[in-house]
Amino acid sequence: MTTLLVRRLLLGAMTIGCIYTITFTMVITIPGNPFQQSQRNMPPEAEQALRVRYSMDNDWLYFWEFLDGAIHLDFGPTFTYSDWTCNQIIAEALPVSILIGLLAILIAVMIGVPVGVLAAVKRGGWFDFASLAFVLLGISLPTFVAGTALLIVFGVYLPITPVGGWGTLAHLPLPAITLSLPFTAYIARLTRVGMLDVLGSEFVRAALAKGLSPRTVVWKHAFKVAFLPVLSYLGPATAQAMTGSFVVEKVFGVPGLGQHFVNAALNLDPGLIMATVLVYSTLLVLFNTVIDLLYAWLDPRITGAL
Amino acid sequence: MIRNLLLVCALLFVSSLSIYSLSSGDSRADFAYVNPSGIHTLDPVRMSWTPDFRIALNIWEGLTTSDPVTTEPIDGAALFPPDVSSDRLTYKFTIRDDARWSNGDSVVAADFVRGWRRGLEPGTAGDYQFLFTDHLAGAREYLTWRRAGVAELTSLSRIRDGWTLTPDQARALARCPTFSQIHATADSIPEPPAQDAADLAWQRFADKLDGLSIDWNACYEAAFAAHISEMDQRFTKVGVRASGKRELTVRLARPCPYFLDITAFPTLLPCHESIERLRERYRKAPITAEGLVVYDPQWTKPDYRRNGYPGLISNGPYRLADWRFKRRARLGVNRFHRTADAIACRTVDMVVYDNVSAAIMAYEAGDLDFLPTMDVPYDHEIARLAQSGARPDFHLCQTFATYFLSFNCVSATVGGKPNPFIDPRVRRAFSLAVDKAKIVNNVLKRGDRVARSFVPAGTIAGYEPPIGLRRDVPEARRLLAEAGYEDGRGLPPIELLYVTADERICQALARMWERDLGVRVELRSKESKTFAEDKANHRYMIARGNWYGDYHDPTTFLDCLITGNGNNDSGYSGAAYDVLMSRASTAADPTERAELLQGAERILVEEDCPILPILHYAQPIAIKPYVKGLHANARLRFPFCYVSIER
Repeated sequence: MTTLLVRRLLLGAMTIGCIYTITFTMVITIPGNPFQQSQRNMPPEAEQALRVRYSMDNDWLYFWEFLDGAIHLDFGPTFTYSDWTCNQIIAEALPVSILIGLLAILIAVMIGVPVGVLAAVKRGGWFDFASLAFVLLGISLPTFVAGTALLIVFGVYLPITPVGGWGTLAHLPLPAITLSLPFTAYIARLTRVGMLDVLGSEFVRAALAKGLSPRTVVWKHAFKVAFLPVLSYLGPATAQAMTGSFVVEKVFGVPGLGQHFVNAALNLDPGLIMATVLVYSTLLVLFNTVIDLLYAWLDPRITGAL
Repeated sequence: MIRNLLLVCALLFVSSLSIYSLSSGDSRADFAYVNPSGIHTLDPVRMSWTPDFRIALNIWEGLTTSDPVTTEPIDGAALFPPDVSSDRLTYKFTIRDDARWSNGDSVVAADFVRGWRRGLEPGTAGDYQFLFTDHLAGAREYLTWRRAGVAELTSLSRIRDGWTLTPDQARALARCPTFSQIHATADSIPEPPAQDAADLAWQRFADKLDGLSIDWNACYEAAFAAHISEMDQRFTKVGVRASGKRELTVRLARPCPYFLDITAFPTLLPCHESIERLRERYRKAPITAEGLVVYDPQWTKPDYRRNGYPGLISNGPYRLADWRFKRRARLGVNRFHRTADAIACRTVDMVVYDNVSAAIMAYEAGDLDFLPTMDVPYDHEIARLAQSGARPDFHLCQTFATYFLSFNCVSATVGGKPNPFIDPRVRRAFSLAVDKAKIVNNVLKRGDRVARSFVPAGTIAGYEPPIGLRRDVPEARRLLAEAGYEDGRGLPPIELLYVTADERICQALARMWERDLGVRVELRSKESKTFAEDKANHRYMIARGNWYGDYHDPTTFLDCLITGNGNNDSGYSGAAYDVLMSRASTAADPTERAELLQGAERILVEEDCPILPILHYAQPIAIKPYVKGLHANARLRFPFCYVSIER
C-alpha cells in the first residue's frame, strides 16, 4: 500500500510537471501582448519595462521563477487584475467552486440514486418513462439554458431566491441544482442499469423466495451491488463538478474559479493561466489518486494492476 | 461507525466551506450599481477602463472635477480657476485648505507631484502616460532619459546574473555609455553590429558576450549609481513642482485650452504619502535593480497592512470601505471631505455581475438602482423601449466615442496580396459606398448616431466637425476606375479584420461593397488579443476600430492619426494633416485653432480617408425613477456624491 502511495504520488508530480511545461510553452508562444489591457496601443518601451518587471524578458528566467514560486505555493501577480495576486484570487474563488461542486454531487446522489432504483424496480411503468425523460433532459439540456430558466422562474417570477450573486445561503440552491442536473441524470441512469442487472440475478431471486420483503431485498441486498458502478463514477464526477462550473458561474454570477480559468486564457494573463491550470490539474491528479487508493483498499486484488 | 464518522466529516467540511466562502450578508447599501467586469485595477495611473475611472473619480479628487450634468471642469481639490500666465503655459493651482485625505491629513501640493510622477515613471505608468509627455514641459525628455537608463540597467543586470541577452537587450547595451568605455579599454570585446541590424546578428553578438571575462558587476554598479544620482535632479526639469505647501506650479510644453479638463482625469489624481512605505527598493535606492519604479500593487486595498501601511487613503467624497474580489466594492463617505455632510447616499455598492442579463434581472427585482451599461444581445430591444418611452427609466447616452474602420495605408502587401488601400482614391471609393444610415437604423437598431466625422458632432463647444462624405456610389465607382480597378477588376479579395462581436456590422459592410463596387470581401473574425496584435502590426487591409474621447477637445481623437502616433493603426502619414495639427497645437486664438483642426479633420474624412467613421455609440443605461442626481452624459461619468434617493 505504501509503495503504491509513493508511486502514485511520484507519478502525479511528474504529470503536473509535464502539464506545467506544456502550459508554459503555450503561454509564451501564443500571439498577443499580455500587458495590453485596453484599446490603446502600448508603447514598445513600456511593454519592455513591464516584461522586465515580471522577468518575462527571458523565457528561461520566467520559467524557473514561476516554477520556484509555484513550488512554494506563490503563483505571483496577474496582469488583468494587477491589484491582486494569483494566490488571493484562488483563495477567494476555489472554496466557492469546491462548495458548489460538492453540493451538486450531493444533490445528484440524493436524487439520482432513488430515481434510478425506483425506475428499475418499476421497469416499464410510467415512473420509468418519466425518469427516462428526465435523464434525457438532464443530459441534453445545456446548463446555461436550465440555469437561466431556473433564474427566471425562481428569481424573477416567484422571487424566492436572489437573482444571482453570492454571499448568503439563499444564493446556493439554484447554481448547485443547475450544476447537479447532468450528474443526477447520469447517476440515475447508472443506478437503473446496475439495478436491473442485479435484480435479474440468482441471489435476488433466492432472497425473494426465502420470503424477504421486496423492500429489504432491493435496498439491503441488490442496491449494495448495484451501487458499485456509481461509486466509481463519483470520483471523476466530483472532480468534474468542482472544476467545470464555468457556465453555471457565468449564469448565476458565482465568483468561482471557473471564470478565472476561462477569462485568464481570453485575457492572455500568463500568471493566472498557469496558476489555474496547476490548481485544477493538482485537484484532478489528487482525486484520481484517492480513488485508486480507495479501490486498492476495497479490493486488494487490483493493487498489482495499478 | 466508520461510515457515520465519514458522513460527519463531510458535513463539517461542507459547512465550514460555506462559512468561509459566504460572507454574512451585509445590509444593502443606500445605492447599488453594477459593474459587469469587476474592477481591473484601482491604481489611478494604471487604469484604462471606464468602470475603473468611475470608482477612482468617486474616491479621489483631482485639481478639478467634472460637472455632473455638463461634464465641464469645476472646482476640485484646488481653488477654481487657477492662475494662468499670459502665455497660457504656466498654471498656478492653490490647494484648498479644507482639502483632506480620508485619514484627516491635509492634501498638499507634493501629493499631486507624487501622483503625477507615478503616472510618468517607467514601472508604474500605464496607458495614459502620454497625458504627461504630451502636455507637461520636460516630461518627454525625462522619460526618454529614464527609458534609456532602464534599458541599460536591465541589460547589465541580466548579463551580470549570467543570462544571455535578448537582441533588444544587446542593442540597448551597445548604446549605453558604460559599454563604450569597456569597448574602448578591452580589446577582447567583439564589434557590435549596426543598431538597425537584424535580430539574428544581435543574437550572435549577445552569444559572444557570454564567453567574455568582464567584470559586469562593476559595470552594473557604476551605471546604477550614476543613474540614481541624476534621477531626482532630472525630474526637477519636468513641469510640475510644489512651489509651496499648497501651491502647485504646472508648466506646459504648449498651450492647452483643455488642460483643466485633463486635471480632472484619473491619471492626474494625487497620491497619499503613505504609499512610499510600499515602494520596492534595491540597496536603499527607490528603484529596482532594473531601474524601474515599483510599488507593491496591493496598495489600493482598504485593509492592506504591511510595513506600517495603513490601507488605501483617498481624498474624494467617498473612501473605499471594502473590496471583495469580483464580488463587490463598498464605498462609504469620507468624513473629512468638505462636502461630507451634504452627501445623501452614505454607502454605495458596486456589485459584480459577470452576466449582464442577470444584472438586468437584479435591477428589475430591485436589488440594483443603476445599470451604467446594458450590453446584451437584445440591446436593440432595450433601445426601442428607451426611445419609445415605454420604459422611462431606460436612457440612451450618446457617447463621446466613434466606431470606425481603419484602412491600411502603409503595407504594400498584406498576407502576400497587394494592398490597394495605399491609394487614397480606393479608400475614398470604399468610404463613399457605405450606407451608414442603413447600418445604424436597419442592422444594429441600437439608437446609435451616424458618424460623418471622427469627432462626434455637437459634443465640443466651439468646434464643428466637417460634413464628411455622403454616400455616392457612381462617384465611388468612378474613383475605383480611375485607380485602375474598373468594376472592381484587378482588386485582390479585400480582407476585413474584426472582432467576433462585430459580426453583423461587418457582414453588412461586405455586402454593400460587393454589391456596389463589384469587389470580393473576405471576412476575418479574430479573438480580441490576436486582433489587437494584427492591427498594431498592420497585418490587415481594413480593420474595425473604436475610440473613446478622454478629454473635451478634438485632439483626443485627431492626435491618433498624426504620423508616428502609437495609436495610428492605419499607419497614415499625411504631410498636410501633420502641418495643420502642429499649427493647431501652437495656435493661441481659439477660433483659429478650431478652424485648423476642422481643416485637418476634413483631410481625414473627406480627402485622404485613412479611416471611415461609421457611427457614434449610444449606450443604454437604466436609472430607477427614485434615483435623483444621476444624469445620462456623453462621457459616462457618474459622480455619486450628487445622488439622492427619493422614494
